[in-house]
Amino acid sequence: MRAIEINNLSVTFNGKDVLKDITLSLDEGRFIGIVGPNGGGKTTLLRVILGLVKPLSGQIYVFGKLPEDILKTGNIFGYLPQILKVEPNFPVRVIDVVMMGRYGKIGMLRWPGGKDVEKSMECLSMMGVADLKDMLYGQLSGGQQQRVSIARALAGEPRILILDEPSTGIDVVGQEDFYHLLKGLQKKFNLTVIMASHDIGAITTYVDEIACLNHTFHYQGNPLGALDEKVMTNLYGKNVDVLMHTDICDKCERLRRE
Amino acid sequence: MIEILSSSFMQKALFVGIIVSFVSGLVSVFVVLRKMSFIGAGISHAAFGGVAIGFFTGLNPVITAIFYCIAVALGIEVVSRKGKISEDASIGIFFASSMALGIVLISLSKEYTVDLFGYLFGNILAITHGEVLLSLFTAVVVIVGMLLFLKEIFLITYSEEIARVSGISVKAINIFFLVVLSVSIVISMKIVGIILISALLVIPGATAQLFARNLYSMIFISCGIAMLSTILGLFLSYEFDIAPGGSIVLTAAALFFAALVLKKRQ
Repeated sequence: MRAIEINNLSVTFNGKDVLKDITLSLDEGRFIGIVGPNGGGKTTLLRVILGLVKPLSGQIYVFGKLPEDILKTGNIFGYLPQILKVEPNFPVRVIDVVMMGRYGKIGMLRWPGGKDVEKSMECLSMMGVADLKDMLYGQLSGGQQQRVSIARALAGEPRILILDEPSTGIDVVGQEDFYHLLKGLQKKFNLTVIMASHDIGAITTYVDEIACLNHTFHYQGNPLGALDEKVMTNLYGKNVDVLMHTDICDKCERLRRE
Repeated sequence: MIEILSSSFMQKALFVGIIVSFVSGLVSVFVVLRKMSFIGAGISHAAFGGVAIGFFTGLNPVITAIFYCIAVALGIEVVSRKGKISEDASIGIFFASSMALGIVLISLSKEYTVDLFGYLFGNILAITHGEVLLSLFTAVVVIVGMLLFLKEIFLITYSEEIARVSGISVKAINIFFLVVLSVSIVISMKIVGIILISALLVIPGATAQLFARNLYSMIFISCGIAMLSTILGLFLSYEFDIAPGGSIVLTAAALFFAALVLKKRQ
């Protein structure tokens, strides 16, 4: 089944084109990486898919329906926003955060029950952070918070998982494990995964498809094809060597030579 | 002690005080977590305008204040959103202009307005039978409403965006909370007075946050602190013949600082 279908979609903010002529079609169960520079429209594209931002023109369908109708049901998407600042003394334990992921499924005027606790614990275990369940969320490290938040996004048993820069706060070594874990989840639940990331080199081996976004798509398709020099220049401009200096991009250099 | 409890005005004061402080303890949790203490102060001072409308028109000042405060709360929201100014500035505008409206209407009122001080500084000991019933009714409505939408309000407090993706109508819940906040402010008016209400909206929640590890413990502690402050404050007011509004808020503040010291010692 087609999970996402986007035709000639454009979004403007204050007269500026943030997204232009975006066309994308993604089958259920696929893992796509949206890469591109910061400010290139990745977050906006994710928010359009979620139904949080209305496009200026073009069509978008999620499982054949309009995103705003999907949004009302509250149980199709699992979403990890890029920045979620939670103060250290905000009174919410890890288990409470994961339980929040089920609220959309539970619905209004109903209370979480034993099954919800069970499912939440299962998701924490999957992310390898079950032992943190009684800790205050705000007091965890960035990487731990990220894992707990993904457990939250999974707790609602979504069909589409949307991750905005999920590797933030995770060190480079941890990132490999992390992407590996995501890959496993995708296969296990036939999840459609849409992940925005600015580090192209790190994700190419894990995703099924890649789309390079800098206001419009400069490349779409097989992940390795994205490492073409022309695509990279369109995407990141002349500052492309800034990216190449990191360890991650040593790896993309290697991949390119292979 | 028993002598205090035997007087009927004191019984009424305690009864209303406990109910109303339970409500403000509950609302206080979200006022603190959502950093809404300034809007709380704004709405409570706006209540002065609402009371003055009551004096001016001859309607029940509590009722006019409830409607006026709800209008102001929603007005602050709309003006900051549509007018593209900060909420902070919007609150400042409504805050002052409502007080000004109050002053103008009071000066125009022919009615003898000694009662005004009861609203400004609180007068829980002179509460009437009708006011007891009105407080009880609104308190029950507010508590039931808050409990019904507790998980939605909490999720919005945690992250509005995640709440929206969970299918929650964030706008509707936010309006609901502003209405609840306004109503709870107005029913606290007779207890501690317009000038001091914002203390009851901030201190219990702030004290509870020092120790709470989840939402329920925060609500429990916050309501406990609010009720304890009211009970102790009323006894102090009776014992030393001081204004109850002041003694209740000072008791709450003392409990907060004691809790802060305790927390630091831990």
